[in-house]
Amino acid sequence: MNEAAPLPEAAVVAERLTKRYGSLTAVEDLSFSVAPGEIVGFLGPNGAGKSTTMRILAGTMSGTSGRASIWGVSVALDPAGAKRHLAYMPENNPLPEDLRVEEYLTLRARLKDVAPDRVAERVRRVMEDCDLTRRASGRLIGQLSKGFRQRVGIADALLAEPRVVILDEPTIGLDPHQILGIRELIRSLRGKMAVLISSHILHEVEQVCDKVVIINRGRLVAQGRTEDLRRELLPEVAFTVVTRADEAALLAACRAAEPAAAVVAAASADGWNTFRVTLPVGSPARETLAGALIGAGLALREIAEERFGLEDIFLAATRRAPGEGRRS
Amino acid sequence: MRHFRTLLAHELRSAALSWNTWAAAGLFLALMGGIHFFALVDAARAPAPRSPVEATLWFFWLPLLCVLPLLTMRTFAEERRSGTLAALLTTPASPAAVVWAKFLAVWIVWVLFWLAFAAFPFLAAQRLDGANARALGEASALWGGLCFIAVSGLLHVAIGILCSCVTRSAALAALLAFISLLALTAAGGALETLPIESWEWLGWLREPAAHLRTFGHLQDFTDGVLDARPLVLYGTGTLLCLGLAVLTVEGQE
Repeated sequence: MNEAAPLPEAAVVAERLTKRYGSLTAVEDLSFSVAPGEIVGFLGPNGAGKSTTMRILAGTMSGTSGRASIWGVSVALDPAGAKRHLAYMPENNPLPEDLRVEEYLTLRARLKDVAPDRVAERVRRVMEDCDLTRRASGRLIGQLSKGFRQRVGIADALLAEPRVVILDEPTIGLDPHQILGIRELIRSLRGKMAVLISSHILHEVEQVCDKVVIINRGRLVAQGRTEDLRRELLPEVAFTVVTRADEAALLAACRAAEPAAAVVAAASADGWNTFRVTLPVGSPARETLAGALIGAGLALREIAEERFGLEDIFLAATRRAPGEGRRS
Repeated sequence: MRHFRTLLAHELRSAALSWNTWAAAGLFLALMGGIHFFALVDAARAPAPRSPVEATLWFFWLPLLCVLPLLTMRTFAEERRSGTLAALLTTPASPAAVVWAKFLAVWIVWVLFWLAFAAFPFLAAQRLDGANARALGEASALWGGLCFIAVSGLLHVAIGILCSCVTRSAALAALLAFISLLALTAAGGALETLPIESWEWLGWLREPAAHLRTFGHLQDFTDGVLDARPLVLYGTGTLLCLGLAVLTVEGQE
């Protein structure tokens, strides 16, 4: 890790960031932060402005307005200072084809101000961490598979033990085993580095991240812990109920337990009907619904609460108007 | 200029391992070897105002236009196309260090090419007896010519680097460099052929035209005349081109 320094409140700060290309606005008035040691998922549909935002934070692109800082250092005013705290792996992870993995990492370590007497040790360490030592260290990067190239990119990001790591789609093109490996690697960074990670694999983000930031059409639509967003964006709980009763009987039984309950028919087969029952969040009927239905004499084969995942949160967040319901 | 030495060592190593460099070296030595051979044959047929070495150096524009763009075209264009330049700029290395390292690496390779060419006259002299060897030309003319190549090469390489900065296509970068170098090399000669003296309104061109005499500079160097003006021209031109290249790299998004 870099030399001891006062811990800033936020490792990454984006404050009213805006990026315009002529009449096209790629990012508009975007504000969020990442705390030291926190892993944050940066989500949005294709073309939402994720990569643009990451590039502005990494200093490879200038914003039209707003402020970006890395570990308290302004990216615009002191780009070299900000870069000393930052490692950035861009989306397509460009690598020189004609260098061997070890040579490339050694060069990058020198450029990233790793102390000369620690370069060899750091290169060896990150190659071990990213499982590159045995199968890739002496090979030309141009001959590596997509998975190994991604590992080289992540190894490069970790080389100088930065305070902040920004990874744009780090698991794109990887097989499930490799994704698992990368996920464990990122998880191991929790508490050591602030990580901002964009990915379309929402399950993966949910597994790894402490918090998510969701943008749509360049604007922030939601940010916070998954549980908080679930409560904010999905204000109901849903059950799948399989019963012989018809919709009217089921609705009557549900309403007896919770007057605001709603029932929607889903499917029907062999005399068994499948319904989706929704209750408001916080309704006491959530605990007692099964008992209420049995008490009402309904023939019940199955009742299960649906789990809303990050995918549901993402869909709910990206459906609503940009700027609506932001959280700080 | 942080990390300049690291970047320069990397660029030199990359150049040494690149097929592009070796192909350019082969083309350069074939061109210059052929020119020198014909210069020797001509000198053997009849006495000429210029020695074979000077006559060969007079054709410096040929490798300048055909070989140098091959060395400079990939420096930035290829890295911009592949995205490795953006990745490089995420490190604390400054754009100025990147530009200067690439510039100096190409310039060193270019000078090494010409030093390799210098072996031709020495090899020819070794195969001839004393009088004939002296007829090949003075060694001072060769070294003077090479000094001209090294000094003017600063500007020529800087132009190639700048051309490579402004595009993602290596082929287009080579074409731009070719046109720019052709214009620079021919400009002095073209201006000299114009009847400037008889056109009053073109009188202001007289002075710049005198400064841009590329072949005149070569003649001065081979004659051992050290004039400060070409040094200033090539020095300031180099700084201007590299400054623009740094701004271009910094401004790339």
